[in-house]
Amino acid sequence: MESVITVSELTRRFGARTALASVSLSVTRGAVHGLVGANGAGKTTLIKHILGLLRAQNGSVRVFGLDPVADPVGVLSRIGYLSEEKDLPGWMRVDELIRYSRAFYPAWDDVYAEELHQTFALDPTTKIGDLSRGQKAQAGLLIALAYRPELLVLDEPSSGLDPIVRRDILGAIIRTIASEGRTVLFSSHLLEEVEQVADHVTMIDQGRIAQSGPMEALKESYRCVTVRFAESRPRPPDVAGVLCWDGGEREWTAVVHGDLGELEGAVATWGGRIVAERAPSLDELFIAHVGAPADPAREA
Amino acid sequence: MRSHAAAVAWEFRRRHRWGLIAVACYLLALATFKLLSLERGQPITFDDEQTFAFAVIVPSATAFTYFLAVFSFGFAGDLAGRQSIYPARLFTLPVTSGALAGWPMLYGTAAVAILWLATRFLAVWPSDLDVPLIWPALLAAVFLAWTQALTWMPYALPGLRVIATVMMMILIDIVIFTAHDSKASEVVMLAILAPNIPLAYLVARFAVARARRGDVPDRRRIFARIGRIADLLSRRRDRFRSPAGAQAWFEWRRHGRSLPALVGILLPFELFLLFLFRDTPVLVFETLCAVLFTPPFMAVFVAATVSKPNLNGSDSYGVTPFIATRPLTSVSLVNAKLKVTIWSTLATWLLVIVTIPLALRIFGISPMVIEWTQKLVEAVGTPRAVVIVLLGFSALMASTWKQLVQSLYIGMCGRAWLVKGSVFLALSLLTLFVVIAQWVFENSGVIATLLDALPWILAALVCFKISAAAWVAMRLHDSRLLSDRTLVIGALCWNVAVFALFGLLVWLLPTVLFRSHFLALIAILAIPLARLSAAPLALSWNRHR
Repeated sequence: MESVITVSELTRRFGARTALASVSLSVTRGAVHGLVGANGAGKTTLIKHILGLLRAQNGSVRVFGLDPVADPVGVLSRIGYLSEEKDLPGWMRVDELIRYSRAFYPAWDDVYAEELHQTFALDPTTKIGDLSRGQKAQAGLLIALAYRPELLVLDEPSSGLDPIVRRDILGAIIRTIASEGRTVLFSSHLLEEVEQVADHVTMIDQGRIAQSGPMEALKESYRCVTVRFAESRPRPPDVAGVLCWDGGEREWTAVVHGDLGELEGAVATWGGRIVAERAPSLDELFIAHVGAPADPAREA
Repeated sequence: MRSHAAAVAWEFRRRHRWGLIAVACYLLALATFKLLSLERGQPITFDDEQTFAFAVIVPSATAFTYFLAVFSFGFAGDLAGRQSIYPARLFTLPVTSGALAGWPMLYGTAAVAILWLATRFLAVWPSDLDVPLIWPALLAAVFLAWTQALTWMPYALPGLRVIATVMMMILIDIVIFTAHDSKASEVVMLAILAPNIPLAYLVARFAVARARRGDVPDRRRIFARIGRIADLLSRRRDRFRSPAGAQAWFEWRRHGRSLPALVGILLPFELFLLFLFRDTPVLVFETLCAVLFTPPFMAVFVAATVSKPNLNGSDSYGVTPFIATRPLTSVSLVNAKLKVTIWSTLATWLLVIVTIPLALRIFGISPMVIEWTQKLVEAVGTPRAVVIVLLGFSALMASTWKQLVQSLYIGMCGRAWLVKGSVFLALSLLTLFVVIAQWVFENSGVIATLLDALPWILAALVCFKISAAAWVAMRLHDSRLLSDRTLVIGALCWNVAVFALFGLLVWLLPTVLFRSHFLALIAILAIPLARLSAAPLALSWNRHR
């Protein structure tokens, strides 16, 4: 599969703080790639490198095979970008924003732009500064989509927005991937959204890639197992392959990587048995990998 | 923190601790020097004005300016914007607007008053100088209080804040100088100054309350018509011809109209002075000169907004992602700015060139100006007179444009420390220059030496300029921001401009007075090169951090 984004051993430091540590990532053409991580994990920093807004201190970033810093025009003319900051110029009117943005993209699709304009019901004479947060996101989405970019990059697109605008954004992602060969990279901490539309997911934790791969393969390699013990237990057993435990007293739930045989044996030794088993949600996987630290009682 | 008053004080102390420590160290140095002088039993005589200026006046004036910026929150705010520069984050504190305005004013006025009193007592003053004690402290406090009140006020138009504050400072200066020249007693001076503090406080409280409730008047529509004239063509077009055209439109709308608008506001007041002084030719001449120097002077203030890549965030000097992700090279983004500064200069001068003859005609001063022109023609001949007038206007226009663009590279670099540092350095150099110039003019021997050495000084400056330009050209080449062809064409254009100016100067000025190599050096220094070429590098440094 052709790679649209290739990040190799990217390291970025801001003073003493390491924002990205030897991050490597490949986003293939046609993929919807979700980037998940806690606040400050390094998602936006990674996206800024992909857009060429940050220069790689170590490692390399290639988008469409080009260096986004050395060739900003070659890269940015093929990317649609919706910023987390919703930093559209407040003094512009909606129609001016469309007219201005159209000038930069020869492939601008007037019909599609008008269709989006109608869908979002934005008043063309209203100033961007007078729009609500959701309407600003819609205006930003309009100018990011109207030239049908090869790569759509959305940085926390749903952050702080109401369900209707979030639905519009998800719809836009779906519409984009409906067009053959187009790629979406989006960061979010709303994991159910990522789970809904992404086919690849990368989890970032404190500047490092904690997990990355196709969504289905990732979910299939983990199981969420509920264990019931005969007696109440202060702490569950330590078993290789268990990423985290949650629960208390007699009933505990574990996210397990790989074969369940070892867990089954260990639980039986402690007088327990597995009572339920299912595929974990992305939320559970995320918490298992980068979530809150384990119960202090268990760490003692 | 026991109270909000203590919290406000803590913030000033914490944020500006290094500056405050520097001021304290300076005062300590003054005190040490004075103590040493007293201990040695030497009489306190300090008649060397230059040393006194260097040791006392310059540092005190710098400290006072620093306090003005600190206590009016001038370091963080957008002086050219309409919104109040009072930090919005403080508006949500559970305190009254009176307290929000009052505590910074109390601390600020106390700080500048203490600065004066400390300087007054700790510095060794010239023995023949009768230095007043109280009223200068109060004057400093009044300056600070009014600066706070007027900079915290939301304004209907961009740039009005600077004009209003400068006007107020001038007004206070005029009143105080007039009173001082009239030998007013200390009590009279205090009576003039004291009411200003409560008055400024009331204005500041009103300003903070207004800003706090988000009440920012907007009268930009008054000037929208001026802007619309230029917008007309682009508005009628369904689409821009090129990305560069769109970006130029963006820049024009963002700050292209600021200079014509500011000059348009000032011109009526300045031209009205022609009516008042119509019977005094000297004053008419001076007023006309002031009018002609208004565009380059105002361009200095507008330049700060032109070079700032991000007008929305007053604390941020970085390029917004919206602009940074435009599929344009950094050179194209800078070109759009340069193009707009040319339009802005032309629009401003069109305004000046149209309104001056109108004012002269309306106020009946045309015959006086025609008479001056005839005298000029008689003195130098018609061709030279025409060229002198044209060259004068061209020089003023070029100077206006130069003021707008020469600091682009600083503002576009996106580093707050560099921007603030350059302002500090420029002010320090300016102060130093004034002091040195005064010293030079008072010493005829030094003037003669300087005149002899002037070609060498100019040659050194040319060497510095060419070295800087060469370094910038190499960086532009290495970073591939400009192609070799563009670099060569740029260098050729600069050479042509230098030769053209040199030829004009040789033709215009008698070579007996001005040697041709001297004029060549002037021409080289006059045409912008290094700083202008550095703008794309600065933007690229900012855009790809």
